[in-house]
Amino acid sequence: MNGALLLNSSKVYAHFASTVAKRHCRSIATPSSVQLSLSHSKSHRISINSCSCAASGDSVQARQMASDDANDTRIAAISSAIRVIPDFPKPGILFHDITTLLLDTKAFKDTIDLFVERYRDKNISVVAGIEARGFIFGPPIALAIGAKFVPMRKPKKLPGEVISEEYSLEYGKDVMEMHVGAVEAGERALIVDDLIATGGTLCAAIRLLGKRVGVHVVECACVVELPELKGRDRLGDKPLFVLVN
Amino acid sequence: MSAYRDKDPRIHGIQTKIRVVPDFPKQGIMFQDITTLLLDPKAFKDTIDLFVERYKGKNISVVAGIEARGFIFGPPIALAIGAKFVPLRKPKKLPGKVISEEYILEYGRDCLEMHVGAVETGDHVLVVDDLIATGGTLCAAMNLLERVGAQVVECACVIELPDLKGRERLNDKPLYVLVESH
Repeated sequence: MNGALLLNSSKVYAHFASTVAKRHCRSIATPSSVQLSLSHSKSHRISINSCSCAASGDSVQARQMASDDANDTRIAAISSAIRVIPDFPKPGILFHDITTLLLDTKAFKDTIDLFVERYRDKNISVVAGIEARGFIFGPPIALAIGAKFVPMRKPKKLPGEVISEEYSLEYGKDVMEMHVGAVEAGERALIVDDLIATGGTLCAAIRLLGKRVGVHVVECACVVELPELKGRDRLGDKPLFVLVN
Repeated sequence: MSAYRDKDPRIHGIQTKIRVVPDFPKQGIMFQDITTLLLDPKAFKDTIDLFVERYKGKNISVVAGIEARGFIFGPPIALAIGAKFVPLRKPKKLPGKVISEEYILEYGRDCLEMHVGAVETGDHVLVVDDLIATGGTLCAAMNLLERVGAQVVECACVIELPDLKGRERLNDKPLYVLVESH
């Protein structure tokens, strides 16, 4: 336990005063194995553990601070490892490229660990990952928490019987498919994707699992959120957990 | 080399979880569906463990996974052995600078892309996909990696279709699979 944390009372106050602290990333030394040039994305520290501090003693507060500082360090490194590419796939869009995160072995492991820490005791039986980048983050989480992994795919990729859900894009529509019988009514599900923008894709997944099959969607989890696009609101009553926004 | 032949007790459980769907995506093709394997947490974990046991401590710095089902098996292996994960993707999916490798399909061509700078000269690479059929996709993957000066140590797949002779197409690159389907 770091005694110095208790002495810095202003820091403790700031932590508990705001549940969301905007924080610009320091320039974190990137591992030499990452050759690609990185630009930083802002990171929010989302209050992962809701804290009822009134009755707890200093030591509990200190543990909360220590664990949140450790989370901050991991999240800052994760955020720094994500590359932002302007004008992809078209002008005006700032694309958040997680492939550089996958080249940083510690940051990738920390990404998975942060999700696993949150979900391991939540009795989740299904992790649904959205094609294709949800296939990168979903399975490691599923394996660690002992859940099934269910891929949510573009049309005509899944063999056998499927159910489909249409959803809107900026221009036009797309379709998401899931296998019949992969999940059962009453199961508890986590939906995973690399990023939430408008929330259209996640909504389609929620409808497939929740409305069509009767699964209880516990939460949606993404590495990155683009808050200006208000995807979080679009999810309605379904909670969203992200590491970076 | 295949674990099937080695008769690891976990192999049977993995094999029985793979679903064969006839006439998909077209008549005459017996599609090997690994999604049913993913619904069995123990069998899925055993699958990953078998690969990890083989590759941990073997100095592999990169696991390259082929879109899309290679994205399901590659990252858990990469995480467990401490390697980078590099996605090899269909065209126009990767932002920024890429290198491309075209390859022949039964009818027509396709193309695989990798980010410039993701893999460096001297990297030791494991290439992962769910299945090897003719070997065309794995060949394209190996070409991409060798073009940037990396060394492909081995290709690893859950399933091999030996009748399609993909193993020969890999020239003398080693191939490791867990199950064979005739």
